[in-house]
Amino acid sequence: MSYLKRTLGGPAGAILLAFFLAAVAMLVAGVSPLDGFEALFIGSLGGRNQIAETLVQTTALLFPALGITLAFRAGLFNIGAEGQLVIGGLAAGALGAHFAPATPLAIFVLLAAGFVGGGIWGGIAGWLRAQFNANEIISTLMLNFVALAVANYLVSGPLKASNASGAETTPLPASSYLPTLIPDTRLSIAIVIAIGAAIVLRWLLKRTVFGYELRASGEAPDAARRNGVNMPRMTLLALTLSGAIAGLGGATIVTGVLHRFNTQLSPGYGYTAIAVALVGDLNPLWVCVAAFGFGILEAGGLAMQALADVPKDAIHVIEGLIILVLAARRYVATRAEAAPI
Amino acid sequence: MEAREPLAPDAPALELRGIQKAYPGVVAVGGVDLDLRAGEIHALVGENGAGKSTLANVAFGAIKPDAGTVRAAGTVGLVHQHFQLVGRLSVWQNVMLGREPRRGWRIDARAGRERVRALARDNGLEIDPDAFVDELPIGVQQRVELLRELEREPAVLLLDEPTAALAPAEIDSFFKTITQLAARGTAIMIVTHKLHEVLAYSSRVSVMRHGKIVARFETASTSVDEIARAMVGGELPQVAQRSETAPAPRFSVRNLRAGTGSVALNGLNFEVRAGEIVGIAGVEGNGQTTLADAIAGVIPFEGEMQRPPHTGIIPQDRHREGLVLNWSIVDNTVLGRQRLPSARRGILVDRRSARADAEAIAQRFDVRAASLDVAAGTLSGGNQQKIVVGRSLLGDPEFVLAYQPTRGIDVGAAALVQSRLIEARNAGAAILLISFELDEILALADRVLVMYRGAIAGEFSGANIDRGRIGNLMAGSSV
Amino acid sequence: MSSAGGALIVTLLTLTLIKSTPIIYAALGGVISERSGVVNIGLEGMMIGGAFTAVLFSGMTGSPVIGIIAGIAAGALLGFILGFAATVFKVDQIVAGTGINLVAAGGAAYALTLIYNQPGASPQVSALGNNFWILVAIAFACAALLHGVLYFTPWGLRVRACGENPRAVHDAGLHPLRLRLYAVILSGALAGLGGAFLSIGEVNIYSDGMTAGRGFIALAAVIFGRWTPWGATGAAIFFGFFEALQYVLQGHISWLPADAMQALPYVAALFAIAGLVGKVRAPAADGIPY
Repeated sequence: MSYLKRTLGGPAGAILLAFFLAAVAMLVAGVSPLDGFEALFIGSLGGRNQIAETLVQTTALLFPALGITLAFRAGLFNIGAEGQLVIGGLAAGALGAHFAPATPLAIFVLLAAGFVGGGIWGGIAGWLRAQFNANEIISTLMLNFVALAVANYLVSGPLKASNASGAETTPLPASSYLPTLIPDTRLSIAIVIAIGAAIVLRWLLKRTVFGYELRASGEAPDAARRNGVNMPRMTLLALTLSGAIAGLGGATIVTGVLHRFNTQLSPGYGYTAIAVALVGDLNPLWVCVAAFGFGILEAGGLAMQALADVPKDAIHVIEGLIILVLAARRYVATRAEAAPI
Repeated sequence: MEAREPLAPDAPALELRGIQKAYPGVVAVGGVDLDLRAGEIHALVGENGAGKSTLANVAFGAIKPDAGTVRAAGTVGLVHQHFQLVGRLSVWQNVMLGREPRRGWRIDARAGRERVRALARDNGLEIDPDAFVDELPIGVQQRVELLRELEREPAVLLLDEPTAALAPAEIDSFFKTITQLAARGTAIMIVTHKLHEVLAYSSRVSVMRHGKIVARFETASTSVDEIARAMVGGELPQVAQRSETAPAPRFSVRNLRAGTGSVALNGLNFEVRAGEIVGIAGVEGNGQTTLADAIAGVIPFEGEMQRPPHTGIIPQDRHREGLVLNWSIVDNTVLGRQRLPSARRGILVDRRSARADAEAIAQRFDVRAASLDVAAGTLSGGNQQKIVVGRSLLGDPEFVLAYQPTRGIDVGAAALVQSRLIEARNAGAAILLISFELDEILALADRVLVMYRGAIAGEFSGANIDRGRIGNLMAGSSV
Repeated sequence: MSSAGGALIVTLLTLTLIKSTPIIYAALGGVISERSGVVNIGLEGMMIGGAFTAVLFSGMTGSPVIGIIAGIAAGALLGFILGFAATVFKVDQIVAGTGINLVAAGGAAYALTLIYNQPGASPQVSALGNNFWILVAIAFACAALLHGVLYFTPWGLRVRACGENPRAVHDAGLHPLRLRLYAVILSGALAGLGGAFLSIGEVNIYSDGMTAGRGFIALAAVIFGRWTPWGATGAAIFFGFFEALQYVLQGHISWLPADAMQALPYVAALFAIAGLVGKVRAPAADGIPY
């Protein structure tokens, strides 16, 4: 009984629930679940191009999910991956369109710009928490909206491409594209970078003194504080690094998929990534698996809408319900001196 | 107020029959019969983990027993060891919570205030009904807790470690109130481990060990020694002997100020020398936590503090401050030492040395665990504390801060912890012992500093150590 | 003062009242929930639920009043889900609230496509029109009512006790979980009303993203207002002012672009929560499952 409860209360139960709810959503839309699932899976795994697109979505989710994983493990609710992703993408797009050197080195510069941009965005929340005890949940959420406003302003004003009709930056020079992994698809080597980041994150959390202190801060903040962990510094570092990983993701979307920055960069990857991180049980390697699962949903959702006439937003309802189910697990210890919310 | 018909003296007020309660892996209460008579003060004593609190909660009705029956001649009230008060509500609001007097849709605040004032007067308790609870000293908070139970006019009143946080003078006035209550026919049971109080105020004593009542005494015809032996089931464990040491200053504070409000430190000056244990005696809430926090570097302070680089810290609350409960024993061994060269290899945690350290602690402290990889949260309190203490003594620290190092653990584990502290002292460590148990201070300390309202109220050493005078200073009266 | 300047100020104040109203409702919902000990991150989702359902029912019945009531009910239902999860399953309230937000946003978008077959926004429905001022007034009445309930009634005392020490409430023979559940349902109802005001009070359609983080701003207002009904109302007006300011300034200040000014209320909220520097104390058991 308790084994069953544990399994069903965890990621496995959430995935079962996801399928059940997807079926309900299809029935509500007047579509046979068989047809709906067929469309979903053909649209996501039915061929080389579909698989490539699923992996594109996987990559876009994996970076912010890893960032969220790091923050949650430190006991910090970073709900601002969306904004960090946008700022990272903006930094890479702006730099690539206007200042990038036309050398193979450019791509590293752009990725670094995304990393730094997202890091600054996460770091603001970290600084506000460390310095003023401002709750990171509210600050990261507010910063999401600020990021969008900033991006909107820049791409429709100072950074707007001179010949573009919509709000977007000048395209990057081809020399600063991320190399494509599967020819004639949108899949770049970003997926390799993302998996590399997951492996590094796992090593960082599991083996290093920094990771040890970070996990202690999340599991038992009072014990960490009392045993030599500088909590304000840890808060600042964790939220900065968390934002940086998400920002790196934004840069890979710009350099690998869009080849320019626009405000349609993310259809809410930063929020879906919360579900990804939780389904992956905040373990970097399982988060990779979870990102693939959600990549199937994201890529297949569009096909489902096109082929079976089920609105793709059903996918987001399912994600939300998965998060609700997984909330039954305890992710972050209750702090004696939490920031007020 | 006088509505309840008082029970005849010696009439049975509470009957517990065959009470059993088991939790996964442990039988907390294993078949207990207990009678309380109207008008008696009955002491229930036993070691930590003997099942006293569980039994009290069963009698109160907060815990449902697996088997057995509870019969009470009226309402049962329970005063918790850890007060269950609402800090940001006033005294009268706390007392009347759930039974608020009304006028229309509103609470009748005046009636509530008057009710509490009358109740306090009738029971000889001085209190301001409009004071906010979290601004009251602990001794007064206890009066609120007591008033809340008395408001329900209980036939039976259970008191769980009621004097744990009280100064000696407060203890006297507390028992005066209790004795009056008993005289008016309330049956009272005190759960405690303070045997001197048991002897002074109770009429009967029941001793619990391993979930059973192992001895019953009439207080008039027993002794502290006899009760203590029944509690541990044999002779008391021996604690290590102190040896001569050559003292050199290791830790010192000069004009130390920290914290705010009633627990602020008002310029402390003292030092702890190598090879000595300095005991900080005092009633809880006189700035001890502020001092420990300042030493641990958790709060900012003013003034000077000389603290050697290799310091071991035994925090007060092992669950919250000492351990990461979800982590293994091995991982917990590293906590607090993660930046020491001996615990890491470059930027990595040295997992091999962590395991070796954990093994050493397990052996030296007789830690009982299935393996070193089980989560610390699954261990008993005594074993958890052994890990915290063992970890802080690893690698011969120059200075050790021990805050309530034996709180809530059984006598055997406590004796072991105390012995290891004395051995560390004998080997040259400077140890600062903060404890609310005067007995522990007197047993371990070479020097005693009494802390009262954030200041050192007196210092005693060697032959000058005098229990009575220390007790007076703890209560705030000058000698 | 020139008459143009005077007109501008009147516009600004009027707009401030209008823009504050949905935030006031949601913030009052935040106050009642947090005073009982449940952090309600789902306010945003409950506003979305209220906004969409109000349009749906107003469109179906032609009666905006029924729309408003349906919006309140939708918010209360989401409040029930969060409250049930928080009390019975003792879930992580932050994670669960985030789930509520995604469910509501996704659900509204799904239903828009499914029901109206037009993603992005609903068709126009009958709305309150000029009667929306009644809802503005009711927002202040709600603040007064909540103040009275919290500080003068037995239920209010118990709810406040519940947010500080649910164990004490239990020991007094009461049911802390039930109190919390009712409080969160009420919280959802208020947020739902705030959402309904957005969709059929201020305008007459529902569009994706129309709540624009007001539920989160309301949370900041709860903190800024120190968990009291009037304080939260004042804070909501403060944030509403910046939202109004952005509209008023748009036509008048050329060097500050409209897109950048959209960030004003969010930046104000950031400054508000950062400027408190540990001076505030949340209810002691806020966010901690019992």
